[in-house]
Amino acid sequence: MTPTNTSWRTPTLILIAGCIILTLSMGVRHTAGLFLQPMSADHGWTRETFSFAFALQNLVWGLGSPFAGAIADRYGAGRTLLVAASLYVLGLVLMSLAPTPLTLDLSAGLLIGLGLSGTTFPVIMGVIGRHTTPEKRSLALGIASAGGSFGQFAVLPIGQMMIATYGWQSALVLLACGVGLIAPLAYAMADGHKPSAGAGQSVLEALHEASRERSFHYLFWGYFVCGFQTAFIMLHLPSYLVDAGMSANIGMTAVALIGLFNIFGSFYFGWAGGRSSKKNLLVWIYGLRAVAILVFMLVPLSTAAAWLFAAVIGILWLGTVPLTNGLIAQIFGLRYMSMLTGVVFLGHQLGSFLGAWLGGRIFDETGSYDLAWTISIGLSVLAAICSWPVNEKPLARLAAAT
Amino acid sequence: MKPNWRWFLTGVGVAMAVLLLAVIFMAYQRPELLLDWANLRYCG
Repeated sequence: MTPTNTSWRTPTLILIAGCIILTLSMGVRHTAGLFLQPMSADHGWTRETFSFAFALQNLVWGLGSPFAGAIADRYGAGRTLLVAASLYVLGLVLMSLAPTPLTLDLSAGLLIGLGLSGTTFPVIMGVIGRHTTPEKRSLALGIASAGGSFGQFAVLPIGQMMIATYGWQSALVLLACGVGLIAPLAYAMADGHKPSAGAGQSVLEALHEASRERSFHYLFWGYFVCGFQTAFIMLHLPSYLVDAGMSANIGMTAVALIGLFNIFGSFYFGWAGGRSSKKNLLVWIYGLRAVAILVFMLVPLSTAAAWLFAAVIGILWLGTVPLTNGLIAQIFGLRYMSMLTGVVFLGHQLGSFLGAWLGGRIFDETGSYDLAWTISIGLSVLAAICSWPVNEKPLARLAAAT
Repeated sequence: MKPNWRWFLTGVGVAMAVLLLAVIFMAYQRPELLLDWANLRYCG
């Protein structure tokens, strides 16, 4: 598959642009928690006010992803990215000026949520998927996923430094300037390319076709578990360690190790997905997550155990992204890849919401995270079982077209 | 480009990437950041 309209949009350039866009969009989103205390203190808001806006953002992000993907498939990724980046920038600037909880909900919740829908994995992976050969596609998706992982790792301390140096309002405007860089990069992603394999099929027909495939449902629920685990572990692991009597530095190092090893894991599983069965690799990822959490629960808690767990779980963190997106492209083709990956990403976001919320709820009810860890192990086993029967073969429609 | 230069530039690139990751990793070594991080549980 090669670009058809212009020669300067090479696959390498598109991959680099996609990586930078994901670094910016995922990275800036990852700084959200840094603004809770200063904003709440300045406005006299409760934590619930702030957290509601971000719960709304997560929901809009997930619900908006299939639509953003469908718009990108229909009108092009470049336009989608441009509009979404504009909404993201507007959301950040209005968030810095938001005087009331309602305006915070509309800016941080609605606008940034919509901006994230159009500037993250479904839209970017669709373009990259279309511009790479089947042999190199998984590796390319892995590199792009590593870009998003790098953003999550790198932008958090930068955001914290900005708040400490310039104050939270200026920090939000500076981050908006960073997100604004997505707009010129969107031009590189405006491929105007439509593969012929799905010609004649409408969005609804593509969705209907996917909904009748059991593999699509397996991928959806596997991604749901991925979202549950990553949200639960990232949000509650530091508290779990501090509650066990460890220092804050040990908790932060664990978080940093997850972020660092996530970059290598995303890249590795993308590379491995191009050489062996993607669904088997998903079975390994979910199975190993269950084993890692179980061992972490059974061994005496120590600094070494916490850091080793963080490193192992970091490697397994977003390796699911290139594999799941690659399977969607492989099974259903490239024509509606953005829309279909957007639908499974909705599963991821629903899982994230549940993992973040349920972890806290279980702790409040029982005084410990033990039940939440156990649920996480059980879900991981279910996800491994769900991934095993995924049929990796392209649909008959695609096989007939080639 | 000559192979020697290609290897040299690749090595420089890898070394700079490792240095960048190390610097970012060290930026996490501040206890006060955990207080901010803990706020993430409210924001998902």
